[in-house]
Amino acid sequence: MPDKARALLMLLSAFLLLACGGDEEVIKVSLEKRQEIAFRPQSPAITYAYLPQYSHTESFKRHQRLVEYLAEQTGLPIRQVFPDTFAHHISMFGEGKIDISFSNPFVYVKLANQYGARAMTRIIEEDGRAEFRGQIIARRDNEAIRSVEDCRGKSWVAVDPSSAGGYLFPLGHFVDHGLTLRDFKEVAFSGGRQENVILGVYAGLHDIGSIREGALRVVEDKIDINQIKVVASSRWYPGWVYAYSPTVSREVVDKIRDAMLKLDYAHNPEHRAILEAARFIGFVPSDDRDFDPVRELSGKVGLDLD
Amino acid sequence: MLVVCGLSIGLILSAMSSKALLQEGKKRGMALTSGLSFRLSEPLLAMDLLQMKNLIDNVHSQYDDVMYIFLLDASNNILAHTFSGGFPIDLLHVNADGGRPQPLLLATEMGRIYDFNARIVLGEKNLGRVRLGLSRSDLDAQIHKQQAISLITTLGVVSLGIILALWFSRTVTFRLNRLRKSAEEIVKGNLDVQAGFSLEKNCWEITGCGKEECPAYGDTRRRCWYLPGTLCPDCLDKEYPLKIASCRNCPVFRQNFGDELQDLAEAFDVMAVTVKNHIEELTEREKTIGKQQRLLKTIMDVTPDFITLQDRDLTYTFAGKAFCEYFGFQEKDVIGRTDFDLFPGHQADLTFHEDKQILITGRPLVKEITFERKGGRKWFHVVKVPVYDQDNSIIGLLLTARDITMLKQFQEQLVQSQKMEGLGRLAGGVAHEINTPLGVILGYSQLMLDDVKDEELLENLKIIEKQAKACRKIVSDLLGFSRHSHSVREAVDINASIREVIALVEHAFSLNRITIIQALDATIAPLTGDKEQLQQVWLNLLNNAADAIGQDGVIFVQSGRNIRRHGIEISVTDTGQGVDREHLGKIFEPFFTTKQVGMGTGLGLSVSFGIIKDLGGNISALSPPPEEYLPRNFTKSEHHGPGTVFIVDLPVQRTK
Repeated sequence: MPDKARALLMLLSAFLLLACGGDEEVIKVSLEKRQEIAFRPQSPAITYAYLPQYSHTESFKRHQRLVEYLAEQTGLPIRQVFPDTFAHHISMFGEGKIDISFSNPFVYVKLANQYGARAMTRIIEEDGRAEFRGQIIARRDNEAIRSVEDCRGKSWVAVDPSSAGGYLFPLGHFVDHGLTLRDFKEVAFSGGRQENVILGVYAGLHDIGSIREGALRVVEDKIDINQIKVVASSRWYPGWVYAYSPTVSREVVDKIRDAMLKLDYAHNPEHRAILEAARFIGFVPSDDRDFDPVRELSGKVGLDLD
Repeated sequence: MLVVCGLSIGLILSAMSSKALLQEGKKRGMALTSGLSFRLSEPLLAMDLLQMKNLIDNVHSQYDDVMYIFLLDASNNILAHTFSGGFPIDLLHVNADGGRPQPLLLATEMGRIYDFNARIVLGEKNLGRVRLGLSRSDLDAQIHKQQAISLITTLGVVSLGIILALWFSRTVTFRLNRLRKSAEEIVKGNLDVQAGFSLEKNCWEITGCGKEECPAYGDTRRRCWYLPGTLCPDCLDKEYPLKIASCRNCPVFRQNFGDELQDLAEAFDVMAVTVKNHIEELTEREKTIGKQQRLLKTIMDVTPDFITLQDRDLTYTFAGKAFCEYFGFQEKDVIGRTDFDLFPGHQADLTFHEDKQILITGRPLVKEITFERKGGRKWFHVVKVPVYDQDNSIIGLLLTARDITMLKQFQEQLVQSQKMEGLGRLAGGVAHEINTPLGVILGYSQLMLDDVKDEELLENLKIIEKQAKACRKIVSDLLGFSRHSHSVREAVDINASIREVIALVEHAFSLNRITIIQALDATIAPLTGDKEQLQQVWLNLLNNAADAIGQDGVIFVQSGRNIRRHGIEISVTDTGQGVDREHLGKIFEPFFTTKQVGMGTGLGLSVSFGIIKDLGGNISALSPPPEEYLPRNFTKSEHHGPGTVFIVDLPVQRTK
């Protein structure tokens, strides 16, 4: 039976080939040589923080280019840091962990009042204005809510107690229309995220929501924003503001302000790319007085700025 | 073969699935690493070391085969790792760039490990890397498990295949073999084969038709739809395969129709049975033909007629036994030859032209031919007819010839008889007319004898009287021959009539030393007849005997009963010179004589013949005489000739 023997041999060799497991390259590495790793502290740099109204990655994507531009223009080491919440942002500023703060006017007023922050520039929004406003939204099919008055007794979701467009401005609007916090069934916060407010209303978890104008566009690729209607908009307030810590030298502040004001959205494609990533189109010089209307509003609605 | 194929396929599948498993394992490792890199970007940005640690620990603890995870920032600083008791620093030096195809297989003290490297990227900015080690050993264990399952499954399938093959060989191969054997049997000539299997239920059992006259009824070997003339109402009196269309709806067909193989076997059986039937029919026909051939041959061999068949070229294709024997040929010598090969040239030439004439004209030839042979002249009645084929064209010549020598002899005898009858009538008439003037001549000559005294004249007158008496005797004989003479019918004592005649001639014969011995049976009955005529017969016979003897002889007269013919037999035997064989048939003819001229008229025996015939009897002659016609203890003398016996048979009751 030579045929059978040959077949058996073939089978055996096939098994052996299978057992070999292919011809992958193997690199010998020892896991025995251990060494304790100590974290090496980062080199000192000017810290730049964007009020975390979006996720860290979104914040990074929006501001990374601007940070790199500023570092290049000023010749200073500038590093973006990522506070987790609005409160964290304020506390980090207080702790000196944030040198340049990009925040809404409400947070700025708090920072100014509490830690002596000083405004240096305001941004020009994509609509060309250096001011913005809040919006009260509801589901389009929610027939019970047609006006500000209809919001009484309803469930309200806002962005954050420190949010300007997403809380303070709409609250001022409600106060102007005779509604106080006690007139709502509940007031919930979405942890500082504009998207969460919109998604909460869209999902029907809350009757109304408050966002800054323009936030709807951020989620237009996630939900059908036609299902959302804007019930009312607040009055215009001064827009987002860059402020610096009192620990930062005047010279550094000037360099940074100059670099910001030098950005030319209209004529420089590189600048345009930087600004488009940051979702605004330019800067205007600003100082603390620009934010008095916000201070007034805070007083009106009874919010503590300290 | 099956085992080798099955195992080969099993091994190939096993190898493929092993490879797929390995790929899946790699993909899973890559997916885990990529997922981690995605999730780690937020805490990396926030420098949330706790969350980083939590994330990698979570994955590490969740999957047993994840050996390690560690996280590096963009500057290759280790931010978090899952090792306890220090970081294995060698890991930093392998798979560091991430530009190589992932993963990289590492051989470590903990076994083989796939090392995955995934970058943490936001936009275009590289934030760091995640490295994940996935145990290859666990993958191998899985692969081996899968291979074992594959092997077991393959073995199961192969076993199933073997079982199926066995089943196949039991059913299909078995049936094919059966079909092959049937074919071989048929080649050997045995048509009594059955390749198909018997049915569980036959058509008449399914339908319950009870039609015993149907050809399918009781036929267990052939399916009814193969048989013509079945009596089912659906069959419509069609033959296979025309009837199959209607059969498809029949419950019998639905129940008994097998697969293609069964169909083939059944068709084969039908063919075998049909061929067998045909062969049996042919054999039967062959037997019949053989029987007819033998019959024909017997007839051909037995018939005394000559029968030959020649083709268009006049070559013999058949020659009957009589023909061959007559000409002294063997049948095989005749077949395939022509007359030129068999007969003398001039005869063959004659026949050739004659035959050609028949073949050309198509006119049959009938002729009588004669030729001399040893033993006498032979006569043949020959008929030659042309033989036509289906297209009405002449393809040969059939000859029949019959020996008609005997017939010819009878014809001659008949002519002779007629001649004699006419002659007798003429002689009778002449005698009657002469009788009266002769009587006048005799009367006057006798008167003149009384009156004439002249011696010389008297002598002349006596000569006239004597010659006139001789004439009267001749006339009387002629009249007797033509039976114009008057005859009387009375009871005649044969013995007495014979004795009277003997007494008359005894003395005269004794002068020539001729002895007459009598042996007359006294018990014979008298018969009715003309005594004078009978005595004339006895006288003729005795005179003839005496003439045959001449001198010194014996005449033996015997009478007795003829047992065979219920009559009387009288024989007159002499010891004379005898009669030649060729003359024996003619001695009763008138005017036939062997005697010298003037010694006899040649009418004696023929007159006797006429008288005996008139009495309803028969007269015949034998020479030499048989023993029984000789006296007892008779010894021949040297003077005796061969002798002759004349035997007269007379019926006791004379009948017309």
